[in-house]
Amino acid sequence: MSNVKVRYFIEGSGRIDLQLRLIAGENGIDKEILSGEMNRPGLALAGFFDFFAYNRIQIFGQGECAFLDRMPENEKERVYFDFFKYDILCCIFTHDYKPDNLFLKFAEEKRIPVFTTRRGTTRFITLLVHVIDEVFSETKTLHATLVDVFGIGVLLMGKSGVGKSETALELVERGHRLVADDMVIVRKLDESLLMGAGTELLKHHIEIRGIGIINVREIFGIRSVRNRKRIELAVTLEEWNSGKEYDRLGLDENIFSVMDIDVPFITIPVRPGRNIPVIIETAALNQRLKKMGINSARELDEKIKKWIITEGKK
Amino acid sequence: MIEKEIVVNSDAGVHARPAMMIVREAMKYSCEVTLIKDNVEADGKSIMSVLGLAIISGSKIIVRAKGEGEDEVVDYIVNLIEKGFSA
Repeated sequence: MSNVKVRYFIEGSGRIDLQLRLIAGENGIDKEILSGEMNRPGLALAGFFDFFAYNRIQIFGQGECAFLDRMPENEKERVYFDFFKYDILCCIFTHDYKPDNLFLKFAEEKRIPVFTTRRGTTRFITLLVHVIDEVFSETKTLHATLVDVFGIGVLLMGKSGVGKSETALELVERGHRLVADDMVIVRKLDESLLMGAGTELLKHHIEIRGIGIINVREIFGIRSVRNRKRIELAVTLEEWNSGKEYDRLGLDENIFSVMDIDVPFITIPVRPGRNIPVIIETAALNQRLKKMGINSARELDEKIKKWIITEGKK
Repeated sequence: MIEKEIVVNSDAGVHARPAMMIVREAMKYSCEVTLIKDNVEADGKSIMSVLGLAIISGSKIIVRAKGEGEDEVVDYIVNLIEKGFSA
């Protein structure tokens, strides 16, 4: 269940702007979108209602609009009456077309939102598919903090009190951007893409022990925040455990799995005197390097192996 | 592990101060404390996390704890919610 209402098409912020204008049926704007599928209602308008997918989003392109324009006035009442007998989710007209007043009157009565967009039909449908994919994507809420460090979305995890928020604050101080603190909503946008964002309510707020809740955007300015970011590196902060082996080489790749998508994963032990933000910056840069095909640890290892072989022959 | 389900009845829901009361209590224990609403889990030791659940009057939540002192902390939080945070 998506729990997303038709309202989302015009109010969804930070996402694709569908450039929709509501022209009728405002009273139906809180109807829930149950399916992201679309229908071109040409056949229904012509009176053929078999298999009419009324509960889908109805897209009126130039063809449908021309058909409505040419329809004799005396027939409209009957056609609209039949059409609006169905509990239609919503109607969207492209090319900035505005249907006649009778159509709008029916929509208003039946509580069916009617929108118009300046966009062309094909382009609009492409964008709508993106928006809908997002609405119906699998999500998971994580107790973590998400920061964009040098363009890499770094997910900071760890027990409360280990210093996630303080680390995020220090990273913001150093010019990086906060996405969400302590609660990250992760969306699986396709089989390899995890998008993280904060909740609308807590957006860009952070709690720092001793100060309380602060608004990072207000204090550090608009460049210190962003609304969403692809997650590319997961970091767990944990208190230094002398009995535990930490990665000293970086030759093996560890993985953190969210909704069956693997994200490179590292564990950073926290101890007084260790500058965690600098370590995270370095980890992010190292991740970028790996993305570009350069693995420092592996390359050094290769170099040493070659040297051992040549030295051995001497 | 222990968990209890409760419906929040205080009119103002869980805003900043009630959230703090929950977190302050949870912090006293070494066990994991989790609040769950609509399948979304929040860390009971994080103010932002608890606030993020957007608990309003009528919300049904689960208080879960795992580890040392789990019974006490769950009882305390459930009691706190039952009394409408007027402890």
